[in-house]
Amino acid sequence: MDKYSLMVPNFLPCKEYFDIKKNNACPGCGISLAVRHVYKAIEGAIEKATWEAPAACDIFGKKSAVSIMRVKKDKAEVVICFDNEAGGKLEDAIAKKMPAVAVAQSYKYVATASPSYPFDLFDKVKKAMETEGKSYIHILCPCPVAWKFEPEATVKVGFKAVETLAFPLYEVGSGFYNITIKTMQPKKLDVYLTAQERFEKLSAKDIAQASATVEKEYARLAENAQPK
Amino acid sequence: MEATKFTQKMVDCSLLDKGAASPFSPGDKRRGLPQWDKDRCIRCGICYLYCPDGAVYRTADGYFEADEKKCKGCGICHRECWFGVICMEQEG
Repeated sequence: MDKYSLMVPNFLPCKEYFDIKKNNACPGCGISLAVRHVYKAIEGAIEKATWEAPAACDIFGKKSAVSIMRVKKDKAEVVICFDNEAGGKLEDAIAKKMPAVAVAQSYKYVATASPSYPFDLFDKVKKAMETEGKSYIHILCPCPVAWKFEPEATVKVGFKAVETLAFPLYEVGSGFYNITIKTMQPKKLDVYLTAQERFEKLSAKDIAQASATVEKEYARLAENAQPK
Repeated sequence: MEATKFTQKMVDCSLLDKGAASPFSPGDKRRGLPQWDKDRCIRCGICYLYCPDGAVYRTADGYFEADEKKCKGCGICHRECWFGVICMEQEG
């Protein structure tokens, strides 16, 4: 029977904590996928986790339209932001300011994650739960309804966001600053933008401007990051 | 020739009123249920890893199946499978 020992989920806890009766998400929901892996990572502290609805949540002094989960365990205080870019503007989609703000506000551990890389997401949440003090994780969750793509492409769009450097995955803690998923040959930003129908009316000028911003942001990030 | 009139039709949707979705279970209106070709499946578990609803589970012989009550038929497993083993079969 065990001809292949390639069973990928062996590295994750196999128990499902995700409550299916309360799951009213659309098919192919990115947030649903992210929450499922986050729940596996925080295990014992699920009952203590509190949710804040979009528009009601207060983060970094600004009202924002994202879902926030706050978890407390021992000395760890974790804020997880599930960002599905409900605003829908191009500026919001390419340059994420919230992780940078969190770094500036002396959070102990700040990371960006994507449900397309579940092990990376799992490790980061685990690490945040073990860090004393406040930590912040920003998760980009592709939304088939708001971004307008086929529900089966959720994971693929998540990959494209990272591969085009529009949403680089990195972590900042005390004494380290790493880019966790490195892309050898970054794709052009068009690949990410044309996969979503919400950006179909963009002109070539907009895209050129956006890719310049992305390159600038990534250069700044790569400068800060330590060579591993 | 009769003039064609524009009439607005109600879309087949059960979510128009608040609480209208509660009698339904998540897998009631799906596009198709994934079926695994067991001859070619290498049991890597990618389908299990990427299922947003936790619908894919592992059976005793190591292969995978989708729970009919949980699966919403999004097709992520079909798209992500390395060997193209999974096909979405329409029901009914």
